[in-house]
Amino acid sequence: MIRLVPRTQFGFWPTVFPLLIALVLTIVVGFVVMLAMSEKPLSDIWTLLTFPWQARTASVQWGFVLQKTSYLAVIAVGLSIGFRANVWNIGAEGQFAFGSIAAFAGYLICGMPDTVWFLPVMLAFGVLGGVLWALIPAALRVIANTNELLVSLMLVYVAANVLNYVTTGPWKGDPKAGQAESDPIHHSLQIVSIIERTDFHWGVVISGGAILVLAFIVLFTIFGYSLRVAQNTPRAQRFAGFSPNMTIWLSFIISGAMAGLGGAVYLSAETGKLIQSENYLNGLGFTAIVIAFLGRLHPIGIVAAAFLISYVNVGATYVQSASGVDDAVADLVQVTALFAVLGTAFLARYRVVFGTQALLSERTAS
Amino acid sequence: MSELIIQILAASMLLATPLLLAAIGELVVEKSGVINLGVEGMMLIGGLAGFIALYQLQTSICTLELDGVCFASDTSVNQLQYLGALVVAAVVGAAAAAVFGFLTQHFRANHIAAGLGLTVLGAGLSNSLGGNFFGVDYTAAIVAKVPALFPESWGDVPVLGPLLFAQNLLVPFSFVMLVAVWYFLSQTRAGLVVRAVGENHHSAYALGYPVILVRMLTIMFGGAMAGLAGAFIVIAQIAPKWTEGITVGKGWLALALILFATWRPGRVLLGAYIFGIVLALEPRLKAIFSNMSLELSYFLTALPYIVPVVVLVLISRNPVMIRRNAPASLGQAFEPRS
Repeated sequence: MIRLVPRTQFGFWPTVFPLLIALVLTIVVGFVVMLAMSEKPLSDIWTLLTFPWQARTASVQWGFVLQKTSYLAVIAVGLSIGFRANVWNIGAEGQFAFGSIAAFAGYLICGMPDTVWFLPVMLAFGVLGGVLWALIPAALRVIANTNELLVSLMLVYVAANVLNYVTTGPWKGDPKAGQAESDPIHHSLQIVSIIERTDFHWGVVISGGAILVLAFIVLFTIFGYSLRVAQNTPRAQRFAGFSPNMTIWLSFIISGAMAGLGGAVYLSAETGKLIQSENYLNGLGFTAIVIAFLGRLHPIGIVAAAFLISYVNVGATYVQSASGVDDAVADLVQVTALFAVLGTAFLARYRVVFGTQALLSERTAS
Repeated sequence: MSELIIQILAASMLLATPLLLAAIGELVVEKSGVINLGVEGMMLIGGLAGFIALYQLQTSICTLELDGVCFASDTSVNQLQYLGALVVAAVVGAAAAAVFGFLTQHFRANHIAAGLGLTVLGAGLSNSLGGNFFGVDYTAAIVAKVPALFPESWGDVPVLGPLLFAQNLLVPFSFVMLVAVWYFLSQTRAGLVVRAVGENHHSAYALGYPVILVRMLTIMFGGAMAGLAGAFIVIAQIAPKWTEGITVGKGWLALALILFATWRPGRVLLGAYIFGIVLALEPRLKAIFSNMSLELSYFLTALPYIVPVVVLVLISRNPVMIRRNAPASLGQAFEPRS
């Protein structure tokens, strides 16, 4: 007989142990998937695991990984604040888009400056844009008790349409381009690479800085503590002097700011211009939701999860080009990882007891 | 003018049906106290599965063959093959839902996290599998159009033709399911058990009802309906054609519908057709006022996503109605007390 007995003591092991099980499960399933999809599975798995060293230049591959990690982590850390408090902002993709739009608007409003000193202002515009877009679901939730999850999601599609509008209408650039796009921002405002010819650019550092600041607030300040308390005990949070409405406002402001920053950095570092939504938004805001859960809503976990998922994703793309194994492998691994993490989370809250021990513990419990 | 109205009505039936199908399924799920946010993901996976099934099942006759390689072929689909594809879509949808069910019911995972995961990853997985699933690129795959239930000439009958005879099999099916679900939930003993589980799972458990089993069954029913809804969008709505992210938020609209309907089947129907008409009006208004400003045109494109927000704001201001109809245990993890 198997029984689940609620844990009375929590510590390091009960938290980390389920994650290890999830990791092992993911690796096993990943192996099976590769066995099924590849003609020479062992060498392909080896390639997937060690692809940066297999590639002609390792730094280029590491650049891809770090770049992807930074976007996913910066959005996911922001989202995790709300998720802890059961405030569900799933519209980060829209706030990301609006961050880009606002950064570009700021660039135009300030008369298209051509100095790198304007970059912080442009990023600030992006943050502001993300926050403003996130404030809509927050306000509707507080004022009209509307479901913030659905509203924030609907606004993703609205934001995509705004992006399409500005790139085909008022800010339309080169009409001969194959897609609707704006004129590029001045090259001095385009974030440059730290290592030549790689995607490891200063934007990664900027996002990393934002993550560090937010992680510090969450982990080491009273304010962060009260946000974390909200996760399981809304009542305790009220004793700490936080109203539920305050939590909603703050969650959306923080997550919107992080997504907006991500959007502004993306505009400056990756494209240098706004492009119609189909070719500009690639689901980072949605993947970040998964990353937040994979990292168990903890900043360190989120950065680790973002890194691992980015590594597998870039690796799968590399394997696809090297030996033709479909990069759907990466998606399958992601699915497995998330479901393994969610499925083993209960082990942190319960002890599994077998056989006669179960009966004994039942007797002591009653 | 009246022709235009009938055209819009026929189109809105076509657009409302997937919303209705998915919402009926999710209604039963939520009535049993589970909130599954994975509707969009299950629709995407089910839709792709249905499309692949139809592609494999359709009759294909080669018309231009050279050295054993077929360069052009005539394809056709009959109702039986269509039915087969729908069954595949429903089964795959239910299987995806079963994963959610196992996680939330047996492994006690957070409903919201598991549902969101199902949606996000269902989107990613359907994109990558559809782009190249064992060597076939389904964005370029050609599948024959599904014939209407009735002889083609019947479609010319005024009013009834386009509204009734030319419609797809799933349109009448959605009405049948709506009535069936209403009857099941409000008139049968099994429906009462489902509602009891949703209202208070501890009491239901104490009475001896298998809470987890009931919820697993409703979750899988919801998944099957979502799979059908996805297959309808892919196969029947315009032409059989699959593209990435083809449902563009319809699964979320279905979830919004349930809040709008405050968990009552009749109002689900009303809401689905209101959304359907909004969706149907958009391209026609653009065609009629072809010289409208760019702002207005994009506003119209975004309207199907703005309307639900406005509707939710209006409906949510009345908390009494929500509290009266919302299942009391909705979204709460069930942990049997010992």
